[in-house]
Amino acid sequence: MSVTRINVGPVHPSTHGVFRMVVDVDGDTVLGVEPHIGFLHRGVEKLVENRMYLQCPPYMEKLDYIAPMAMGDSYISVVEKALGVEVKPKAQYVRLILLELQRIASHLLWLGTLCNDIGQMFTGFMWGFRDRDIILRLLEDATGQRMFYVNMRLGGLVRDLPADFEEHALKTLDYLEGRLADYTDLLEKNPIFMERMKGIGILKAEDAKDLGVTGPVLRASGVSYDVRKNNPYYAYAALNFRPAIQGSGDNFARYKVRMLEMAESIRLVREAFKRMPDGDATGMQIRLITPKAQNRISTVSRECPRGEQFLYLVADPQKAYRFSIRSPTFINLAALSHISKGQRFADIIAILGTLDLVMGDVDK
Amino acid sequence: MDYEIDRNSGEFLNAKKEMDMLVMESMKSQKVKPNVVFAKLSELTKAFSGSIVQWSRINSLWPLQFGLACCAIELMAFGSPRIDAERKGYLLFRSTPRQADVMVIAGWVTKSMVPEIKRMYEQMARPRYVIAFGECATAGGPWWESYNIINGIDQVLPVDVYSIGCPPRPENLFEALMKLQKKLGGKVED
Repeated sequence: MSVTRINVGPVHPSTHGVFRMVVDVDGDTVLGVEPHIGFLHRGVEKLVENRMYLQCPPYMEKLDYIAPMAMGDSYISVVEKALGVEVKPKAQYVRLILLELQRIASHLLWLGTLCNDIGQMFTGFMWGFRDRDIILRLLEDATGQRMFYVNMRLGGLVRDLPADFEEHALKTLDYLEGRLADYTDLLEKNPIFMERMKGIGILKAEDAKDLGVTGPVLRASGVSYDVRKNNPYYAYAALNFRPAIQGSGDNFARYKVRMLEMAESIRLVREAFKRMPDGDATGMQIRLITPKAQNRISTVSRECPRGEQFLYLVADPQKAYRFSIRSPTFINLAALSHISKGQRFADIIAILGTLDLVMGDVDK
Repeated sequence: MDYEIDRNSGEFLNAKKEMDMLVMESMKSQKVKPNVVFAKLSELTKAFSGSIVQWSRINSLWPLQFGLACCAIELMAFGSPRIDAERKGYLLFRSTPRQADVMVIAGWVTKSMVPEIKRMYEQMARPRYVIAFGECATAGGPWWESYNIINGIDQVLPVDVYSIGCPPRPENLFEALMKLQKKLGGKVED
């Protein structure tokens, strides 16, 4: 046995940002992967501790920049908890709709880059980005921004949904439902895709629990844990949400979970539109002085597209005294070296693709 | 025909004359069409190098496939069907700096990333251009107070075009590249 050490990154076309790993290989078999992170570290937690509550959502949204809505929502939720603000009933539904649309957009981007990573299936990349752009147009209608929305306010949103939003959204969802079938056809009938997905990078349920991975990666290993189901927030309990679960824990299961999640999100948004109560969804205006914090310590847990994000806030009257983020992708990255042992070298890229890392979230 | 040799340059003096006569004769006998040019290859390239090379350089700016942070998502959207960068010649995102003309700095620049960016810039073939894409690459953006951020890539590399926004839309990158083309002397249709 002879060990060769190969450096991958930090600038590499398939590492989704600036991620460096040092791989030990024997021939083509991987013996160990050592991730090196921190190339995007900018100290979000410290910056949040030095600013007033409502100056911070833009910083939080730049954590996971593929799903900024989810990040902004979880931050505003923990501040709402600290300040003792109730979310308006209609705003709960509107937030759910926007979050689920964001989840579909995020998964489509993941699908596009995954197709690009494993052997230049450029069709998947083009399709994914085309459909994501359609959802971004919807979100732009609702919020006024293309990428960083900053549209959550205490107790609600900056503005209510536009009048024709429901019609446009339902039309888009009909289109997307047909597209999902196209994606399944394109990918699952492709022998190259299946070769690189089935039976590669298996993460067993016990290992997944020990490593603390969350989100689609955990559900692909057969563990039924979804914050939307186990600890429901907003209107998820009322809408009878069913998490997508697969058992095999390989690349294909992680791919399939995300595909099923997109279908479930489409169903959730449709149902939310049907059940949305009348009323007002706008939240409090931004003021320099916010109401004084009620609770000293507040925590909040949200199911973001990449896993469970957990926020811990120790409150001072006007700003956070201590703020801590449990990034889902940082924990999921821990599984990389575990599941790529014994695989072929080229499969690391496929495993990295299905783990769905966002380095901005890993490095904070 | 006798050949005279110039002692200083070592060239045949009457070789050119003979070649001209040959050309004239062959043109008269319609063996060669008049739009064919006879010249040394080196002279041809010298005559056309300025305009042809410049023209092709301006119209095929190939960006480096290199994204740092959020703006990189818009960089990817720039190549996606809605924007379709290929119609203007910003054709291929090259995976290696050796084949790229333009480096788009898309995202915040941390202190640990500076040596890597410098190394990639040095690997690019001249002439090379840099676009600072987004607030962070332009001036630090929202992270200006952070302990690990360089406030603007222009502290490290010479920047040709700045494009601001947080993040700038993909259309902004289009505009930035068109500005770069104009800067190089190209006539660009808006």
